Amino acid sequence: MALDRLRIGVVGAGPVAEKYHLGAIRGVPEVFAEYVVDVDGQRAEKFATRNGFRRFGASHQEMIGAVDIAIVALPNHLHAPVSIDLLSQGIHVLCEKPMARTPAECQTMVDAASRSGALLAIGHNRRFRDHLRLAKNLYDRGYIGEITEIQAEEGSVADWQRSAAYFDPQRSGGGSLMDVGIHAIDLIRWIAGEFQEVQYTGNQTPTVVESEAEMTFRMENGATGKVIASRTRELAQRLLLRGTQGFIEAGLWSDMLRVRCEKGKASRHFRHLEAYVSRRPPADSSFVDQLLNLVRAIRGQEPLLVDGRAGMEAVDVVWRAYGHQPAVVTAQSAATGGHFMSVLTREKL
Amino acid sequence: MSSNPAPAGIRPPSSPQVAVVSAEGNLSAAVCREAKALSPHIFPQSLPARVLIKPNLCDIVAWENGVTTDPAWLRILASELRSIRPDVKIAVIESDAIGAYKTYRSCDETYQRLGYIDAARNAGAELINLSKAGSLDIRVPELPFPMTIPEMFLEEFFFISVANLKVHPYEHMTGILKNSLGLLPVADISHYHPYLATVISTLHRLCPPDLCIIDGRIGLEGKGPIQGDPVRTNTIILSNDALAADLAACRLMTIAPQTVPHLRQTLKDLTRSYDDFAVAGELRPHKFTFDQQQLHPEILAKFRNRRLHRQSEIFTNRWISRFFRFKQEPITFLTGAIPKLARRVYGSR
Repeated sequence: MALDRLRIGVVGAGPVAEKYHLGAIRGVPEVFAEYVVDVDGQRAEKFATRNGFRRFGASHQEMIGAVDIAIVALPNHLHAPVSIDLLSQGIHVLCEKPMARTPAECQTMVDAASRSGALLAIGHNRRFRDHLRLAKNLYDRGYIGEITEIQAEEGSVADWQRSAAYFDPQRSGGGSLMDVGIHAIDLIRWIAGEFQEVQYTGNQTPTVVESEAEMTFRMENGATGKVIASRTRELAQRLLLRGTQGFIEAGLWSDMLRVRCEKGKASRHFRHLEAYVSRRPPADSSFVDQLLNLVRAIRGQEPLLVDGRAGMEAVDVVWRAYGHQPAVVTAQSAATGGHFMSVLTREKL
Repeated sequence: MSSNPAPAGIRPPSSPQVAVVSAEGNLSAAVCREAKALSPHIFPQSLPARVLIKPNLCDIVAWENGVTTDPAWLRILASELRSIRPDVKIAVIESDAIGAYKTYRSCDETYQRLGYIDAARNAGAELINLSKAGSLDIRVPELPFPMTIPEMFLEEFFFISVANLKVHPYEHMTGILKNSLGLLPVADISHYHPYLATVISTLHRLCPPDLCIIDGRIGLEGKGPIQGDPVRTNTIILSNDALAADLAACRLMTIAPQTVPHLRQTLKDLTRSYDDFAVAGELRPHKFTFDQQQLHPEILAKFRNRRLHRQSEIFTNRWISRFFRFKQEPITFLTGAIPKLARRVYGSR
């Protein structure tokens, strides 16, 4: 039986596409590598030649009609305009996180997807990591009772050459909280529910985004917690969910998962269990599973795990957190489509 | 996995109790009455909502042969448990197994052919096949591979282990502790055999029985634990502590507990001594004969080699990868490596 394969294109041939999405494309035989575009044409050509893409170009407009799925791995300010262009043409989009710089931009993306019927998936790949799925499963089954406290910390010295867009508040929409902390925010939302109140401290200036961020919060279910994100310090890279009857501690980079259920039989002699999800290599196949989820969702075989609304909610939490700080991108500037025209304001939301 | 050094209230009683009851022929409620008369603390005063009973169903062999547990125990125990808590939910747990002649034994088939379906119906108990229930892989530092355990170890329940009095070629005897191997959801546990003592001790700490019964009315000697010959001792050992029950069983079988590897290991792990129990009732020793064998030296060697091979492979691959990264992009490699090296050198000072 011939495989009904979907044509996939990559927008942005940078390190994110190379390091993460390329392996995913290779690991999902239901798609084949069709198109790669990059504003730097030579880089697109090099990427396509080296990695077996059939075609390459310099603008995402070129791939319209030639692909079924597009992976948008661009600087944050381009997520919304490029995704909207593609979605409007019926191309399913897997957009890197953060979905966009502001909730308003996110909303325009969601609207574009709902108008055309194309699917919009957001690259919160952590949800696809096996041990984090297990953590959610264990929590959902009530093993640690009700969550009372949440702690997440993730940070390291930047591990690849970052473009200037990462540090520019206009183009990135935020610093370590928007770039790194949003993973933990998405996971917390996914596992424990919605954020109610958020407070933020960071070291940003009007011209450079923060490298250190700390967000304290209260959830709708009453749990309190803290998210620490850093680009200058090595942190513990973990998510801790403390409940009324135990805790779950999960590695954000590793596959570590510690579980303690106070009433559980196993807690009589052990402080916690180190749970483990065994699977074939690669150990982190979250990008593969993320793309596979999109393919299956397109085929109506399963729901999309991280849709545009989920991506928007995570951005909204960051946006609300930044609302306590002077430097934020306004909703009005976001509505322009994000073409380098956003202005910084000092107004509070 | 981390051990609790001295959590309050979870240590075994200072002097675990063992009651030795004489019984011939069919089981009756008199066994429990007599045990309670001998040692009132063996049976609990109160119960949680759920009780799990683990019989020994290692193969499809009728209980009169001394290999498996008599299904009549369900009726006796259900009646006793409901006199303590009328609304208690009782379930029988066992997994699929590899029986004699390497035959795969589905637990469902075993339940059916050994009369457990009828016995459970009459006792108002549920039958659970652990091989089909939820499981969890955990890391055990002493094992080179993850150990799969039932997810229900994270829950609260009263655990009753009903074992047989049998000999074993490597472990010398099987009683309550060895019966816990049937809690492993995987049918083929041959890869655990080189580490049997560690696995049994870990399982005991993960799921310690609250009530232990060794049905020695018909024991098994010779080629135990499946193909041996029945031997009548007309004795039933009841205890509130697994180690105490097994140590009493050793005394009954005239097997030195120091020669039983899993007993040695568990005593060491729990820092207990060989005479740390009190016996009520008459323990008449019987000489159990058996074929003593070495503990799979060839399997042990295979696993040790595999572990060594894996470690050396990781080490070699790491340096090969570094070499090629340096060869491809020396500047990038060095700019990444030098700060890391500096942090390692100066950070440790």
